[in-house]
Amino acid sequence: MSLYAAAFGFGLISLAVIAVGAVGFTMQFGITNLINLAYGDIMITSAFAAYFLNHAGVSIWIALLGGAATGAVFSFLLNRFIYAPFQRRGTPLIGMVIVSLAIGIMTSNLLLAFVGPDNVSYRQDPGATVRAAGMILTTEQLWLIGLAVALMLAIHALLRYTRLGKAMRATAANATLARNCGIPTGRVIDAVWLITGALCGMAGTIAAMNSDSFAVANGPGLLITVLAAAVLGGAGQPYGAMLGAVIIGELTELSAAVISPEYKAVVAFSVLVIVMVLRPQGLLAKFGAMEAAG
Amino acid sequence: MTYYITTLLVYAAVDIIACIALNMQFGVSGLVNFGFILFQAAGAYTAAVLSLPPESANGGFQHYVLGLQLPFPLPWIAGAIAGGLVAIPIGLVVLRKLRGDYQAIALLVISIIANLVITNARPFLNGAAGLSLVPAPLADQLGSDAVGTVEYQYFYVAISLVCVGLVLFASNRIANSPYGRSLRAMRENEVASAALGKNLLAQKLTMFVVGGIFGGLSGAILVGFIGLWAPAGWLYPETIVLFAAIIVGGRGNNWGAILGAILVPVGFFEATRFIPNFGHPGLIPAFQWVAIASLILGFLWFRPIGVIPERRRTFPRRGAG
Repeated sequence: MSLYAAAFGFGLISLAVIAVGAVGFTMQFGITNLINLAYGDIMITSAFAAYFLNHAGVSIWIALLGGAATGAVFSFLLNRFIYAPFQRRGTPLIGMVIVSLAIGIMTSNLLLAFVGPDNVSYRQDPGATVRAAGMILTTEQLWLIGLAVALMLAIHALLRYTRLGKAMRATAANATLARNCGIPTGRVIDAVWLITGALCGMAGTIAAMNSDSFAVANGPGLLITVLAAAVLGGAGQPYGAMLGAVIIGELTELSAAVISPEYKAVVAFSVLVIVMVLRPQGLLAKFGAMEAAG
Repeated sequence: MTYYITTLLVYAAVDIIACIALNMQFGVSGLVNFGFILFQAAGAYTAAVLSLPPESANGGFQHYVLGLQLPFPLPWIAGAIAGGLVAIPIGLVVLRKLRGDYQAIALLVISIIANLVITNARPFLNGAAGLSLVPAPLADQLGSDAVGTVEYQYFYVAISLVCVGLVLFASNRIANSPYGRSLRAMRENEVASAALGKNLLAQKLTMFVVGGIFGGLSGAILVGFIGLWAPAGWLYPETIVLFAAIIVGGRGNNWGAILGAILVPVGFFEATRFIPNFGHPGLIPAFQWVAIASLILGFLWFRPIGVIPERRRTFPRRGAG
């Protein structure tokens, strides 16, 4: 029994990692209508930026902010100089998917050329081990779970209570109508790329902090997990992504305890395929557009 | 030198078949099959386990199912059929309800799951190590000495090219038929095409199976030639190379797909093979991928129609000719 309790605890930390990444991904998709398959590679690039900061003597928590900043700037520039021009040229949705996949392959391989294929790890102090109700977590992991919860609440507050959040929801629902109502959609979209990019960078760094070591080759795995959670909850739905992250995170860890760790990813993706067959719009609500919060 | 050229020709034949298959899906019918490599893998594994001896042979160092040791054309035919059969359930899952870009992602995910499952399930197809010592076609009849000769190499090139011819003939027949026209109509505008009474699901599923059959055949040819097949050889970026080839060659045009196959997977990787090694071992392949990605971006930006664009078919005005 304690095996399952421990697995549940590991599930908490992995769902925290996935939630941060999946909410960023799904907001990007919901508001800009662009499936950014370079997301996983930006995550791992940010993790490496944090790694260099960390090994230059900065504490891991400040390096985490550096990772978030890297993700934000990278995503912003990527949209400004690549995605937006392609969209203005009238590249169809499918074309944009191919463009983003090409960008992802390019990013990961440039990174590979730069840092090499080896596994690296942060200099960090995981802190004392905390045992409660059969779960075994380090202090650092508890902080990370807390951080993820805080970020989720912040996203909720942003979308629900701020003018920017309202403008984002309006842009997601109907960009042309929003522009006609006087919402500066261009600036809203810039803000979206900065915010979701920061979430992306933070998710990459947290994922790297939580695993003993990481390498460039982890990028696709990160992307797929994030995609699974986002699509499971209904793409474009931030609350759906949170729910998807909970399901994927717990399911992978619990299935690792029940079946075998090798099939972790397989179980997660099989759930995804079943949802796609039975409820292709995802667990929560509509296709494409981001539903008004609350 | 002869070995090098014949080897290259066989690779070219494999890539051409794969590119034509993907072109029929992506170029003609508008299906973005990011999981294409899965069908090649299905064909390769099927051909391999049908031509390998039972697993207790060779000292039993690898584990796999079947091991029927069937004579030559059967494993290839079975490989093609396997590719088509695998396409049916996947097509039914993916093509039924999902929007185009979701289909692409679902296929990407399925291709990655399949790779993970095969990697971890060792008794089925020998897991991560993959299958090796797959006998070459006709190895039994000719004796194992004959397989390494130049004549055998030419023979292999010949049978591969025959397959290319068959695939090209069939694909052009489909693309130029009235059926091909309704496929293009579906690609251009799904709603309008459905409104004219076209059964979109049936059309998509048919092209999925056709592409699967060709993909399976290409895998069977490849595995018979190189004699081994492992999960590392069919990771999802391999599909992207084929997409690059079609985008460069010209989507919607089978001759463009052939040109793309010769330029990108064959020509490009061969040309960069001669760059002297420098830096860490992964450096050159990393730059190759960067270049492939730049090629896709560059063509999508500057010439989205490719080197040999799809011919717009025109008809003389009635009474004018």
